This record gives sequence, structure tokens and C-alpha cells, in this order.
Amino acid sequence: MKVNLEIDNKVVSVSKGTNIFMAAKDNGIYIPGLCYHPKLTHYGGCRLCMVEVTERGSTRHKFSCAQPVSEGMVVKTKTPECSKYTKAVMEYLLAQHPLDCPTCDKSGECGLQDVTHDLKLSKSRFRTVRLNEPMRRDNPLLEYNSNRCILCGRCVKVCKEVEGVGAIDFQNRGINTVVGTAFDKPLDCSFCGGCVSVCPTGSWQDRTLGFRARPWELKKTPTICTYCAVGCSLVMNSKNNKVMRVTSDDYDMGVNEGNLCVKGKFGHEFINSDKRVKTPLIRKGGKLRPVSWENALEYVSNGFSEIVNTHGGKAIGGIGSEKCTNEDNYLFQKFCRTILGTNNIDNISNMKSPSLNRLIIDAISYKLVARTLEEIEDADTIFFVGADVTEAHPVLGSMARKAIRQNKSKLIIANARNVEFNSTAKEDIRLNYKLGTQTILINALIKIIVDSKLVDLKKVDTSTKNFKELRALLKASDLGINKASSLTNIPEELIKNASEWLAKPGKCFIVCGKDLEEDPSCEEAIKALMNLCALINTGGADKVSLVFSRANNNSQGVNDMGVVPDFLPGYVDINDSVEKGSLEDFWGAKLPDCDSKNEGKDIFDLAVSKKIKALYVMGENPIVNYPDGKKVKDAFKKAEFVVVQDSFLTETAQLADVVLPSSSFVEKGGTFTNMGMTIQRLRKAIPQVGDSKPDWQIINDIAKRMGRSYSYTTSQQIVAEIENSVHMYKGISVNRLERKGFRWIASEYRKFRVATYDFENTVSKAKAIKKNAKYPFVLLTGSSLKHQGTFSRNSGSLASLTPDCYVEINRANAEKLKIEDGDMVKLESVRGKINLKVKISKRVPVGAVFVSEDYEWVPVNSLRDNGYINVKISKAR
Amino acid sequence: MVTKKRSTVREKTANKRPKVMIGMGTCGLGAGAKGVLDSLEKELKSQKQVVDIVRTGCIGMCSYEVLVDVILPGRNRVTYSGVKPDMVPKIVEDHIRNGKVVSKFALSQMPLSGGVTKQYEELPFFDDLDQNRDQLRYVSRNCGIIDPDSVEEYIESGGYKALKKALGMKQIDVIGKVSMSGLRGRGGGGFDTGWKWESCAKYVNDVKYIICNADEGDPGAFMDRSLLEGDPHSVLEGMIIGGYAIGATKGYIYVRAEYPLAIERLELAIKQAKDNGFLGENILGSKYSLDIVLKEGAGAFVCGESTAMQFSIEGKRGMPRTRPPQSVEAGLWDKPTCLNNVETFANVPLIIDKGAAWYSQIGTEKSKGTKIFSLTGNVKRAGLVEVPMGTTIRRIVFDMGGGIPKKKKFKAVQIGGPSGGCLPEAFLDSPIDFESLKEAGAMMGSGSFVVVDETTCMVDMARFFLEFSTSESCGKCPPCRVGTVLMLEILNRITQGEGKEEDIEVLEKMSGEVRKMSLCGLGQAAPNPVRSTLRFFRDEYLAHIRDKECPTATCVALHKYTVIPDKCTKCTLCIRNCPVDAISGSRDEVAFIDKEKCIECNLCYDKCNFMAIK
Repeated sequence: MKVNLEIDNKVVSVSKGTNIFMAAKDNGIYIPGLCYHPKLTHYGGCRLCMVEVTERGSTRHKFSCAQPVSEGMVVKTKTPECSKYTKAVMEYLLAQHPLDCPTCDKSGECGLQDVTHDLKLSKSRFRTVRLNEPMRRDNPLLEYNSNRCILCGRCVKVCKEVEGVGAIDFQNRGINTVVGTAFDKPLDCSFCGGCVSVCPTGSWQDRTLGFRARPWELKKTPTICTYCAVGCSLVMNSKNNKVMRVTSDDYDMGVNEGNLCVKGKFGHEFINSDKRVKTPLIRKGGKLRPVSWENALEYVSNGFSEIVNTHGGKAIGGIGSEKCTNEDNYLFQKFCRTILGTNNIDNISNMKSPSLNRLIIDAISYKLVARTLEEIEDADTIFFVGADVTEAHPVLGSMARKAIRQNKSKLIIANARNVEFNSTAKEDIRLNYKLGTQTILINALIKIIVDSKLVDLKKVDTSTKNFKELRALLKASDLGINKASSLTNIPEELIKNASEWLAKPGKCFIVCGKDLEEDPSCEEAIKALMNLCALINTGGADKVSLVFSRANNNSQGVNDMGVVPDFLPGYVDINDSVEKGSLEDFWGAKLPDCDSKNEGKDIFDLAVSKKIKALYVMGENPIVNYPDGKKVKDAFKKAEFVVVQDSFLTETAQLADVVLPSSSFVEKGGTFTNMGMTIQRLRKAIPQVGDSKPDWQIINDIAKRMGRSYSYTTSQQIVAEIENSVHMYKGISVNRLERKGFRWIASEYRKFRVATYDFENTVSKAKAIKKNAKYPFVLLTGSSLKHQGTFSRNSGSLASLTPDCYVEINRANAEKLKIEDGDMVKLESVRGKINLKVKISKRVPVGAVFVSEDYEWVPVNSLRDNGYINVKISKAR
Repeated sequence: MVTKKRSTVREKTANKRPKVMIGMGTCGLGAGAKGVLDSLEKELKSQKQVVDIVRTGCIGMCSYEVLVDVILPGRNRVTYSGVKPDMVPKIVEDHIRNGKVVSKFALSQMPLSGGVTKQYEELPFFDDLDQNRDQLRYVSRNCGIIDPDSVEEYIESGGYKALKKALGMKQIDVIGKVSMSGLRGRGGGGFDTGWKWESCAKYVNDVKYIICNADEGDPGAFMDRSLLEGDPHSVLEGMIIGGYAIGATKGYIYVRAEYPLAIERLELAIKQAKDNGFLGENILGSKYSLDIVLKEGAGAFVCGESTAMQFSIEGKRGMPRTRPPQSVEAGLWDKPTCLNNVETFANVPLIIDKGAAWYSQIGTEKSKGTKIFSLTGNVKRAGLVEVPMGTTIRRIVFDMGGGIPKKKKFKAVQIGGPSGGCLPEAFLDSPIDFESLKEAGAMMGSGSFVVVDETTCMVDMARFFLEFSTSESCGKCPPCRVGTVLMLEILNRITQGEGKEEDIEVLEKMSGEVRKMSLCGLGQAAPNPVRSTLRFFRDEYLAHIRDKECPTATCVALHKYTVIPDKCTKCTLCIRNCPVDAISGSRDEVAFIDKEKCIECNLCYDKCNFMAIK
């Protein structure tokens, strides 16, 4: 609903509930103000935004941030009265502020400076009343200076409302009021940097900038984050071709609304790190030595040609990247398929859960999948199942908290681990199921909804297939609520309440997490989850928005681009001869067949069995990332020729015969696709570091060297080709990827009709996780908030924040083993052992231990194989 | 005009045993009531007397504490004032044993209401005392009269009758009655109570709150404490009626932790009310249920502000928030909330019981009912006075308070504590009601009434109250957090003799700015003491600034260390105390301070009993 009002003689129309401050701002009228922030609840503490309001015949002074608009209101923002009083308040603020602008990193982009300048303040009437608090530098990322603080409360609010942490609050009274931590302990939070981002003064500072540049010297380039799959928009601030810091202050930019996590905000130092590979390297005499691009490209093309000529193209295996752009990956698979002639290409995410792509495509065809990640903000019920949002997709957590704040959404978290989530919800349910019983839990939820008729079953029946069969099976099974409760180890009442919340009217946003997707019984659990979605969707009611977690910034894109053995770009079945034919025509090249003999074996299996002789790895570090560490090492050892394109000399690159230096995401254009299937555009912020080149260009050069030159000169040309060859990316150039990106799933939904949901039977027995007396614990792995692979590892400040990877263990188990917090322990499985420090944690269930797999230098995969692995733990000597 | 009802003591005529009442409010305890009680118990034992001992609340005559009342069967209640433990044996022996009033200790007598009791001759009646003659003790009718720990006595004196009546009425009618009575909030703002209830009642929600604001924080205010200590049930009853009217499901009493006795008595009263069915499920058999919980404040003045109080109850930092939404729409935990002051609630049973028409006869046109003031400062008889709205300042100060002690002259009265303002002699005959006070630059506030005599420096007084406001500011908004500190800094300079002429103009402007721009009432009212002293005592400011002189010789930094010959009594006290022998003089000769030797230690000034050194 729109409300019409007049501000400074300008008639404006804004939606109901807007405050005067935003109504003016959105219409280009400036009102001074330092405490209001559109993404936070209003505070009304700075007292600068006073305006004159005439309403129903009476004229009064109102504070514009706290006053909602009303029909026919007349607002004057610049009356002499208003400016007189506003000036007085500014004068008070400046009497307290140290005015140490020359030595303040904020100077030049400081709200206090701007308002002072705008109000044309001159000599003060007062002596100063300043605080003399010491600067707080108790962590490597953030510093806080109370003396500069004007107590606008934004940082306190962002910490509480957006991040859900509440690490800081006001202390003391009167003039001595400051913002600080409880008992002045060192800051211990998620370090999202939200406080820096919203601070209008120089109180909170980003230490990674650390006096290296003045704000006006910084070139600002908006781009997309390279860490997780949420795809946050951020702004690269560079000076002298070096990235100085990351900002994201624009509240309506991208999916994240200016919110970031610790990695996105502070994990940028890898870009200009000394450890970057700056020239091509070739192994000579057992050592990698720098060579020119000429030599390297020749070496690579000769190497590939030799393998192709002697063993055929299929003897080359290609590993695409979850980190690289869609263009890089598109060209990678095109190169592998058409020039090398191999279909043995894959990416780590697909290797970890090979059935996921098909399941996602199914879910999309039933219109169960969310159109965008932002849909979470409209949700009435949010369900995280097997997802550790706080660690894996922190900004999605902030989006969930926005929904909780605005819609009073209810929250359900189901996980085998007691994952942390700073919920601001008044009510939330935590379903900590017993390891391996996720399918039972989901089926129990379905059964309760069906048995208590929480949805219109008739409608479900008429709009879907096989519902009767499912009902019959549910009826026949002995999965009563008490049985489910005893199997999953969750109180009956919680299961019951959760099913009621899921079935109640309103939007339901479901995040299917890694713990479900990478489980050995992934297919079964996800099918059950889809059954649940279809049931509460009651036949296309558009109530459910399901999202599948993806680990990396372009895990979705690399699969979309067809860097998988069984799909051509755009999930075209490789065995679909019609589609294949038309792609062959488009590319003007012959495509290899899918090797049916590979059934169930991935590239590394083939390399171990010597069917694959050469490995071509682009921007990946499978030696640490691939679950089965032993196998992947073996594969690389046996490969005759290994080419690695990377920005760093990773564990994998160290085993390579040739290392080609690739540019990082800030040195190139291109697109990333996030886990909500939104394609977003990267922009080049700085020139290439060293002699590095964007991955697509390297591939281009190798192709040229092999005599099959492509005509690409910019990544834009590849985007144009993608539009024409990847059907779901059609329309991408029309959209031009501005502001909110291109949402391929939404455009797909506009095109096709919903398939009738076909219920599949997943009612089965729990698969017991095998126990081993010698190795009594189950090893669980997962994401980490503060680390993710090579990039965070090489960002000095970020890495120094949490330099240690811990093995987390339950207190009960720890006490029995006489292990204490911080002890060094040996973690041992049948496959290997590593030494780690212990953290006693409530997050891990009894009988399990948890190690993050995102600390690249901790090879936890050396303990693992493809499923659950049993480990033992003992004090290290 | 409402005729005054005589104060009487409800007493079962059947009572055959003598009864002794001791004022054990905070004022009584402070004056030594505990020692008196011990001595009484010991004496009764040794003289083998069996009597009922009742610990009452404050009857309002704080300057007379310790008050001990003796009621012999069939006789009037006799009040002894200023009782010390060593006076107890005589009272026990003469009065309790022998039925003879100890007239040299006795202050007044009071008849019993139950039946005809025998008077004592020569002893004035309680109501005829100067202090009480013009008071209308309605709200505080039970204070000091009944045993606050006994719900039976409260019921006997007509308590919970109003609740029963209210529960029989429609909710809207209860509100209507309160609206008609013209009752206005006694917390300071004077907001129309009926209107507040009505606006809260119209919000439908499954949970609604009613809050009693007992966070009395003004320096020199103690009405709420005395009510809670002396008659907790009347506050509870008013609150339950209010809860019923707005449809509250839960009540909170936010009481200062510094009031341990009030807390103790409230806790007992809540328990008694629950036991008697006045509180809890299905109150008095009706469909209405209400639970009331005590919440102790942690000692922040700002938590008396309604939104800050709600945050404090929620367990958050007590900081006021902007409105809208108003508390009646979304207050405590975002639920509709109605918040009233202790005294407001204590008025409610009266209105329901006696009717709106009766109530609205008391007071002025726009301010109805009575108001309790805590009369303190330079006044002979400090204590609580309950007067009808519209009573003049003169009557309170001179008739009830007995005027200024030590033959000093009246200078001003500060009404409303740090949020109020001072009124000089010219306002002595102006009536006290919400509008008149506001017009005169003061405010009703919670009802603190501090009398100031000619020896008080008004600049210093303004500085004192402003300092209180600066240290109690929550820190949220700059006008209050920084503005008041800047004002205080200027006042400090003036009292140090470093003031400049333009400071006065700056102070005046700032008073307006801070008032206009502050978020909550605390900040808005913080400059009031400065504003009103500037208005009425500008000369004093000018004397400090121009002549570098404090007319009352209060500001230490401005002392000239000279002897005023007319005032010097040649007592030589200053001479004896001077550490550097800078003062000469003798019994025959006026003291003289040698400026060469004087180190300005201020000892002579402190020691002089006759204000002879300036």
C-alpha cells in the first residue's frame, strides 16, 4: 500500500510503514542522521534527524527515523528551527569526539565528518569533554576506539540482530557510556565485521586496512565473494593494484544486503600474498622450476598430445573447479571433451555426492526448489536439515534472522550434531537425531502430517502420483511416533511440534545441508525430504522453497557447466543423442561417448587402476579436498603426467609436472552461480598478479598451442556462447547480470509446467553405522566458519585468528578418556593418523568426534574413505 | 467541598488487651525504632505486661519519629513522639500499667472508630496538630494506622471492597469511572489514567501486562516507599482493578532494590492476597485471573522511565526507546502494557469505592484528588503531607511544615526533584496542580518538595541536581549524555569563579536545546533546575560571575576568607582551629584573618557556627 506525502515541497509516494527518514532518502532528500540503518531496527539515539511535520492541522517537530509516514503529511526538513537544534546536537557530539581525523582510517568516509560539513558547523561554544579510553586491539581483525564512538548503537544492533551474537553492548552510564564486551574480555565473536561496516565513525576499524590507504585513494570494484555458495556481493577496495580491504556497505546490493562473514570481509589477503605462484613451473630434476609461458605451454601441449596419441583421449582425466568461474569451467570441459577427447571430467562436489545433480534436477522439475536464496526472508517456517548454516553459509543465517525478525518465523534445525545457530527466534526446535537416522526422522514427520491430516490429503492425492502407495506403506510400517522417537533419540513432542510447524500455513524454507548430501545414504534421505516437501506443498501450492547446500562459491556453476562425466552443459544427458548431436554441431566438433565401463568409478579410481595416465587439474586441491586421501594420493603418484592450474602451490600442485599460475577472482571478469541458482557477475578489480592468467585464457592458450585455436579474446564472449549452448542460461546477456544477478531457476520456472510429483518409497530400516571396538568413535567432518581451503589459509590476518584446527569431542567421552581442553591428541583410523588439539564441545554427540575439513593444512582426509570411518583417540606423546 | 473525615483507628471494641504500635517504616527504623522495640519488649517482660505489639508504616510525621502509640482498651490512641529507648520504661509503667498518659512525651490522641472511647484531657487530637489540620489523608489513610502485615486489618478498614465492586462491573465501566474521576498519573507527567487504560484495553492480545512503577528515584522523594511500607494492599488492590479493566494477564511491580522493607511487605501482601483469593486464578470467584510478580530494580534512575523499565524487566539494559509504538500497543515483550505509578494505583480503590463524582470534587478543575508530597529540606516538620490539589505552597511550607527553622528566611522550594524546578517566594501563594506548576517552570514530578532557606546557593543547588542527572543519564542520546555534562562544566566554572557573562546565555540556550532534543523525560527535564534558577535567581549567577562572590558563601572556591564583624561572636573557635595561626583576635576582639598567612584550607569557614566568615 502506498502513502502520499510531501517532503520539502516534493510530493512523494512510499509504501506504508516506511519512516520519514527513508521516504526522504529514497527520494533524494537528505536528512542528517547517524544512528538509523535500513537493515536494523530503529534506535532513535543520535537525535539529528529532526524534521517539522504537519499532520491533521498541527505542526510539530518529529524525529524522522522514528516516525512512520501517513497520508497527507507535510514534512519540512530544513527549517531554521530544525537546523538550529540539529547543529546544537552535533556540537555536543563534537565536544566529546576526539577530532583525531588525521590519524583515523575512517577520515574521508566518516558520517560524523559528513554531517559536520553539511551543517557548516564552525567554532564550538564549549570546552571538550572527551574520554580517554585505550584503543582495544585484542584480535587480528578488528580494533575498537571508544573515544571516537558517538553511541549510535548500530554495531550493538548489527551484532544482535543480524549476526545473532550479541558480543557487544553498552556499558556504564552517562558520559562514560561505551560499547564493549562483557567484563571487557577480548572480543570473541564470529568476526563478521558487521560492526565496521555500519559504524558511522572511526570507532570500529578493519585492521587488514591498517593505515595503508586513505579512503579516497581506494578504487572500489563491486564483485562476488569467492568463499561459500551464498554468493555475497562485496566491494574490493584497491590501491596501487593491490587489494587493501573488502567493504560491503550498500544495504540493497546483492543477496547479502551488505552482510558478510569473517572470510568474505577479512579473507582477502591471499590475493596479494607472497605465496602466489607468479610464473609457470615445470618439474626438472624432481624440482619445480620457473619457466616462461612459451616453454610451459609447449610442455603441456606436448605432454597431452603424447598421451592422446599413445593411449587415446580417455586416458586423460580433468578436474574442474568449484572456485573458478562458469566461463573457466565451460571452456575447461569443452577443451577436455573436444580437444583432448575425454569424457573423464569431474569436480570434487560431484565426486562427493554423485547423485545430487539428478536429485536437484528432479526437485526443480517438481517446482520444489527455491527461486532465489532471498526467498528465505519471506519464510514463516525455516527448516535446516543436515545443514550447519553458521559454519557453512553464515550469511544465509543472517538472512534467516531477518525473516525471524520481520515475520516472526519459526525455526527448526535437524542435525546429528548439535550445531550452533544463533537464533533470535522466540521459539525454535532442535532435532538432534541419532547418527544415520535422518531418513527415519523425515519419514516420521511425514507420517505425523498424514496421520493427523495436517494438510489437505485429498488435494495431495489428486495432484500427485503414488501417494496412496506411500500412505499404505506408512500405514504398514511400524514407524509410530514413539518408535521414531526411540530410534532417532528425539523427544516425541519435538517431532510432533516440528511436523505441525512444517505443515502450518505460510511459506516454508528448507535448507538441505551437507550432512545429508554427503552421507552415504544421501539419495534415500533426500528423496524422503522431497516427499515431505511435496506433501506440505499439497500439490504445487508453492509453499515450499527447498535449497540444496553447495560448499563453494561456484559448486553449482561447475555442475551447470557440465564438468561432470554424465552430463553435458545444462544437465543434458550425455547419452541423449539428439541433444548431443546439436551440441556437436554448435561446437563443430565430435564428442566422446560416455564410458559405460566406468560405472561407479571416478577419475581417481581410474587413475589408481592406471586407466587414466594424465591428470589435468584446474583450481582444485583434491589431495586434501577429496574425501579418500589415500586413494587420491595414490592416483597422483601413478599418473604419468599431471598439469595443475592454480594460484598457489597447493599440496596437489606440489605433485604436478607443470604448474600454470592462474589469476584469482579479483583479477578477472566472469560469473559465479550460487546455491540459489543465481548467476552473478565478477568484475576485474586489479591487474593480474605476476605472470598469472585467468584460467579460461590458459586453456585458450593450450588449445592454440595444440593447433585447435578458439576465437575468445574476452570472457564476455564465452558468456555469449554459454547463453546459446546451456539452455538454462538463456537470457543471461539480456539480463546483463545487473544488481541482483540472473536467476536461472526462476526463468526456468516461467518456461515449463510443473511435473506431477511422484512419491517414492523411502520407508526403510535405519542403516546402522558399523561399530568397531578398536576404533570406538565415528569421525564426522564439516565446514568451518573461519576457514575454507587455500584462500583463507593464505590470508595472514584471518589465519592468525584461528591458527589451530581442533578435534571436537563430547565432554562425556573426553572425561572417560581423561582428555582435557587443549590437549594434543592422536586421531587414528585404519587408514592413517594425525595429531590435533582437542576442544571439548557440546556440538558433537557422544560416540563421535568432529574435525573441520576446511583447514587445508590438516589432512583429515588421510583418515577417511568414502563413508563413515571409525577412529580412536589417544593423548599424543 | 469534601468535608474532612477525622482520622480514627479501627479497633475491635472487644479488644481487651492494651495495644502498642511502633512506626517501623524506613523513617522510623532510621530514627531508632528497632532499639525502642527491643527496649519495649524487655520492659514489658520485666513489668509483666501483656500487650499486642504492632509494627506500622509511616504516618507521615517523619520528623517526630520514633513514634510509639499506646491504645488502652476503651481509650483513645495516644501518640508519643521522639521516643528513645530510655523513655520506654516510663511509658510502660505510667501509661500501660497505670493508665496515665506521660504528658511530657505525648504528642496527640486519636479516637477509635469502632465505638465511643474515652478521651484524655489536655492532649490535642491528631487531626488538630498544625501539621495535620489541613491535610486530607485519603490515599495514605491507612499508613501508620493499620498493621501493614495484616490483610485482615486492611479488609476491616474497607479494603478489597472496591475490587469486589469492580469485578462486578463491566471492564469498560471501570475505565469509565476512572476517566470520570479525572485521575491523572502521579508519576510526574500527569497523564490521564482513564484514557491510558482505555487505549490499552482496546488492543486485543493473548498476553497483556500491567506494571506498577515503584522505582522512586528522585532525591528527596519517599511517598511511594511510605505507601508500600504502610499500606501495600491498597496499591495491590488498585493494580488488580487496573489489570481487570485493561484485561491484563500478568502484573509486574518494579520496585527499587534499595527499598528492602517495601519489598518484604509487598511480598507478604502478594502472598496474602493470593491466599485470600484477591489474586491468582479466578479472582473472588470471577472469570478474571491475574498474577503479580515483583521485579527488583538494579538502581538506575532512568528505569523509572516506562520504556526503560520495560527493557529492564525483560532483562536488558534499561534504556528508553522512541515511540511509536506506545507501550499500550507494544510494550513489555512487545505486548500491550499499561504502566502506572504506585500512588496512582492507590487512588483507584477510593474512586471505585466512593465514586467518580465524589472523587472529582476534590482538587482543582483540571487536577483532581489529593497528592502526597514528601516535604523535606529547611523546614521544621519534615514528613509526608497529603493535600488536595490546589493547595498553596505557603500552606504546605508554613502551616504543615511549620516554616523555616532557626529563624531563617524562606528562599525557594524545589518541586519535582532533579526534573523539576524551583519556585521563589513570589509563588508562595500559587496553587499546586499539574498546570500551575508547569506554567511556573517546575513540575509535579513524583512529589518531592524540598524547601530551601536563605543560606542555600541556588547556583550550587542547580549544579547538584544537574550532576545527579548527568550521572544517571543512560548514555543513549547526545543532548542528555553530553549536553548536560557541558552544562555542568559551565556551572562548575561559575561556582569556581571562572564564569563568563556569556555563560548565562549559553546555559539558557542549552536548556532549550537539551529539552527539545532529548529522547526521554529524564533528558528533557534535566535542564529544569538550571532553567528555573536562571529565571528566578539570575542575580546570584551574576554575583558569581561578575563579583566572583557567592552571596550565601556556599561556593568554597569563592570564599574571600574575611570575617564579617557584625556576625562574629568572638567565640575564638576559628582561631583555635586555624592550622597556620593566620587568625588573630580574642574574646573581646573580632577575629581577623591574615591573608598573607592564610592557606585557604576552609577550616575556619567549616567551624564557624554563625556564618561569620565569607
